[in-house]
Amino acid sequence: MFDHKTLGTVVFAALTLVGGHAAADVDYTKMSPHELAEYLLFEAGGFKLDTEVQEGGTARQRLVQDELHKLCSETRNRPSVEQAAEISLAARESVKYPGGDIQLGDWEKGRQLAWSGFGYRVGERTDDHTKGEPGGACYNCHEFAGDRQGGTIGPSLRNYGKLRGTEQPVLKLAYGIIYNPHSMFPCTRMPRQGANGLLTEQQILDLLAYLFDPESPVNKE
Amino acid sequence: MLRKLFAAIPLAAAMAGTTSAGPSDDPAAVLQTLIDSTSSYYLTQSEQNLMMMPASPALWTVEEGEALFHEPRGPNEVSLEGCDFGKGPGVLEGAYVELPRYFEDTGKVMDLGNRLIHCMKTLQGFADDDPAITRIHGSNTDHMRLQAYIAAQSNGMNWNPPMDHPLEKALRDAGEVLFYRRSGPFDFNCAACHGDEGKQIRASVLPYANNPKEWTKAISWPSFRVGHDNLRSSQHRVSECYWQMRYPEIIPGSDLSIALISFWTDLARGQPAILPDLKR
Repeated sequence: MFDHKTLGTVVFAALTLVGGHAAADVDYTKMSPHELAEYLLFEAGGFKLDTEVQEGGTARQRLVQDELHKLCSETRNRPSVEQAAEISLAARESVKYPGGDIQLGDWEKGRQLAWSGFGYRVGERTDDHTKGEPGGACYNCHEFAGDRQGGTIGPSLRNYGKLRGTEQPVLKLAYGIIYNPHSMFPCTRMPRQGANGLLTEQQILDLLAYLFDPESPVNKE
Repeated sequence: MLRKLFAAIPLAAAMAGTTSAGPSDDPAAVLQTLIDSTSSYYLTQSEQNLMMMPASPALWTVEEGEALFHEPRGPNEVSLEGCDFGKGPGVLEGAYVELPRYFEDTGKVMDLGNRLIHCMKTLQGFADDDPAITRIHGSNTDHMRLQAYIAAQSNGMNWNPPMDHPLEKALRDAGEVLFYRRSGPFDFNCAACHGDEGKQIRASVLPYANNPKEWTKAISWPSFRVGHDNLRSSQHRVSECYWQMRYPEIIPGSDLSIALISFWTDLARGQPAILPDLKR
């Protein structure tokens, strides 16, 4: 009734329709959990990989892990002492500091960035970066002041500058943490705002102003 | 029907919360049993939602789903009564807490959504592009009506996804890798939000994956989401999480989604399901 070619096409179509086997001869039980996870991510029709993304290129590249991702995934964010030292060294080397002394930016702009979760989301609702600047999404995890409720995944940053002062080494440390937090906290859950190209140097300086400026609500309690 | 039962057996429902003998008819009682047995900020975070539970709009959806389930539909004009959700054709009691599972007839590990689609196509004759099949994440869908009804037949029963078939175990284990795998512009994995107890994203308390007594509520879908004014599925939850994590858009029902849901269901093993649940 069917010739071989037609039958092959029908079988293949059925397999791809039901839920994602890319090929009929793939045996999941012969793969390690890690191999299967990679297969499901990249080969089995799990994600819309070809969607264009805001940073350029396609969504596929967002699933590709760098060395830090791999180490922190394998150790479930608990690297050994040696691994932690390697991670923080590499992270410190990744930080590009502003030329000269660190000058605090505009705390009001920093506050807006800290409280904006806009940016980089793709799917049924995609963030259009031509219609708004991506924020830092800091508020999801941090509390800044009593005026708005922040999250508690990260530490509270209330009175951040008041408690620490505004000497250059302190500002430099904070800049490095925002740029690449693994410099101080290896395998932290916090995003690498500078190293991943999410925020510009000026935006990080604005965030620093929100944290350190005596006029910022962060230091007004 | 369900509502009448609530009135008739409040005591039995409350007592049924901790047993796996059969389904209870009162999701609120199951939740209360959990709250009484542990200390969890996640379970108790919204007094308003706890008060709404007994009058959850999801209970109406269950009733709509019951009618839809038994109604002859599709080109073949048959009901879903012949659908095998893993415990034999037409057996709904306790079927959902044993999903995802491997199905011999498809050779695949399937969750409730995939199994429903399979039966709607093979028994009822719906075409792949019929809205009854394709409207997965929308509001007031057939999928949510049917899932709510079927899942409610497991309310109060303990999660017990089978791990007998090698494919079930393989997908569960891959799901565990995926749960901890970091990538994307924000370097996130699932554990970024679900790896600690009592943490909040702004006002919202997050469920901790390694506390089964709160994780069982986290994975109890369908759930009426107050903020959405609609029922949502486990597939919808996975999709929303990945969206917030800045990942690519996940395909509902893909083996990737089944792997994650297999792992997260296994994490709640032995704890009673709250079906249908109500969440923020």
